[in-house]
Amino acid sequence: MLGEAVRSIGANISTTVAATMTVLIGMFLLGLVIAFATYARSWSDDVKAGLVVKVFHDRDATPQQVNAVRVLIEKDRRVDKNRIEFVSAEEGLDQMRRERPDLFKTDLPYNPLGPAWTVYPTQAEYVDEIAAALGAGTKASPYPSGVHQVTYGAEKAKRILKVANIINAIFGIAVLVLLSAAAILIANTIRLSIFARRREIEVMKLVGATNWFVRGPFMLEGLICGLAGSLLAVILLFVSKEAALPSLLPRLTSDPDVQALGFGLNALILLGLGLLLGAAGSGLTLRRFLQV
Amino acid sequence: MTAVEENTLVTDTPTALAEPEAPQTPSAAAAAGAMIVFESVQKTYDPNVVALEAASFVIEKGEFVFLVGPSGSGKSTLIRLLLKEIEPSTGRIIVGGRDLGRLPRRKVPQLRRNIGCVFQDFKLLSDRTASENVAYALKVQGESRNSIRRKVPEVLGLVGLSHKSNSFPDELSGGEQQRVSIARAFVNHPPLLVCDEPTGNLDPDTSVEIMQLLYRINRSGTTILMATHDREMVDKMRRRVIALEDGRIARDERRGGYVSE
Repeated sequence: MLGEAVRSIGANISTTVAATMTVLIGMFLLGLVIAFATYARSWSDDVKAGLVVKVFHDRDATPQQVNAVRVLIEKDRRVDKNRIEFVSAEEGLDQMRRERPDLFKTDLPYNPLGPAWTVYPTQAEYVDEIAAALGAGTKASPYPSGVHQVTYGAEKAKRILKVANIINAIFGIAVLVLLSAAAILIANTIRLSIFARRREIEVMKLVGATNWFVRGPFMLEGLICGLAGSLLAVILLFVSKEAALPSLLPRLTSDPDVQALGFGLNALILLGLGLLLGAAGSGLTLRRFLQV
Repeated sequence: MTAVEENTLVTDTPTALAEPEAPQTPSAAAAAGAMIVFESVQKTYDPNVVALEAASFVIEKGEFVFLVGPSGSGKSTLIRLLLKEIEPSTGRIIVGGRDLGRLPRRKVPQLRRNIGCVFQDFKLLSDRTASENVAYALKVQGESRNSIRRKVPEVLGLVGLSHKSNSFPDELSGGEQQRVSIARAFVNHPPLLVCDEPTGNLDPDTSVEIMQLLYRINRSGTTILMATHDREMVDKMRRRVIALEDGRIARDERRGGYVSE
C-alpha cells in the first residue's frame, strides 16, 4: 500500500504539491489565529478575574448582622465558595493606609471603616447578579441590615465583559472560519486530484479491487500531504515567532498570567489537524467515486 | 477466405464445448450450474426509462455468445448488471451459480475477480507498463510477488506481447493495447470473459487478431459474452447470437448472424 501511495505521489506530483501547499497555508493561518485567540482569551480571562463584589458593613454592624451576610453570600451558587474573603475593619484600615497614605497624614480619632467582604464569582458574568442579590442597584430590595454599600464596579465590569465577549467571539469565529476554509480547500484539492484519477479508480474496481485496496493508497497519500503541509506550517510559524516576538514582546502585557497557548501544543494541534484533514478529506471524497 | 477462417479458429466447434440441444428454462439452468442465468430481468432508470425488459436467457459454461443490437438497446445495461455495477429493478441474475441479488456489496470484488472485462477503450492505467497493468489485476487479489512474476510473462506470451512488456500504453498500437487488456482480463483465468465492443476502435485486420485471441481463450473453456456492432465478425463466426431491441430480447439463435435471416 505504501508503495502504491509513493508511486501515486510521484505520478501526480503537481496535485500532491497543490494539496500540500493548501494544507501549509491553511494550517499556518490557523496556527496564527490559535496563538492570537488564546492570548486574547487569556488576557480577557485575566481582566475578568479581577471583577469582584465588595460588601461594606456599617461601622457599628453587629457580629450577627455580619454573620447573616456571610450566610447569604455562601448560599449563593454563583459565588466561588473558596474565594470569599472577609476583611475586618482593622485589616481594611491597614489596607487603606497602604494604598492611600495621603489620607493618613493626621491620626484618625477612630476607625471609620466597618468590616467588609470581597466576593469572587464563579464566572465574571455573575458579578451584577450577586451584587443585585445583595441589594445593589435595586430600590425594591434594600441592603441587608448592617450593610451600607455593595459595589462591583458596575460600568467598568460591563465594559470589560463586553470587550472580552467581543474578543472571544471574533477569534472563535476566525478559528471556525479558517478551519472550515482549510477543510474545504483541502477537500477540494483532493477532490480535483481524485477526479483526475477517476478512470484509474474505475479500472481498479473493475479488476476486483476492494474499496479499502483503492482507498488505502489515496488516504495514505492524503496523510502524507497533510503531515508534510502541517509540518511545513509549524516550521514557518516557528520561524515567524522567533523573528517577530522580540519586537512584539515589549508591547504586550507583562502580566505572567496572560499567556498564549504553548507553541508545542499549538504545533501538535496543527499536525493532528493536518493529518486528519488529509486522510479524512481523501477518504470521504473517494466515497463518491467508489460507487462503481 | 478471411484471415479468421484461414486460421480455422471459427469454423470448428470443439466437442468439449458442444452447445446444448434444446434451450433450458432459467430455473432448470440455475440448478444445472449454467454460467449466466437471467430470469425475467427488468431494469428501469428514473424516470420510467426501461433499459431492459423481461430478459430471460441462459448461457452455459464454455459458450461464446454475441450480444448484438443498436446503440441504446440495452447491451451495456446488461453488462453492468452482470458486473453488479447496477441492480436490476426486478428479476434474478445468477453468475457462476451465485445469485447476484443475494450477493452483499462487500463480496462484489470477489465476483469481479471471476469475470474478466475487456472494453472498447481498453481501460489501461496510462502510468503503468503493459506488465504492470496485467500485474495489477493479480495484486488486487493479494497474489504473491513470485506468483505475479510467473503469471504475467506467461499471459503476455499468450497474447503475443512478450517483447512489449515494458512499454507504456501510449507506446502501443490500439490492437496491442487491447491485447494487454485481454491479458489483464485473462491472467486470473476467470471462468467468464465479458467483452464490450472489444474491436470497436480497431481496424479490420487487428479486429481479426483480437477475435482469434478471444477464440483461443474460449477454446480453453472460458465462457465469452461479447457485445458488438461488428456485423462482419458475427456473420462469419456463426456463434450464438442474443439480439436486443429497445431493451427486449428480440432474437436468441444458436448459430445466428448479425441480423435475422
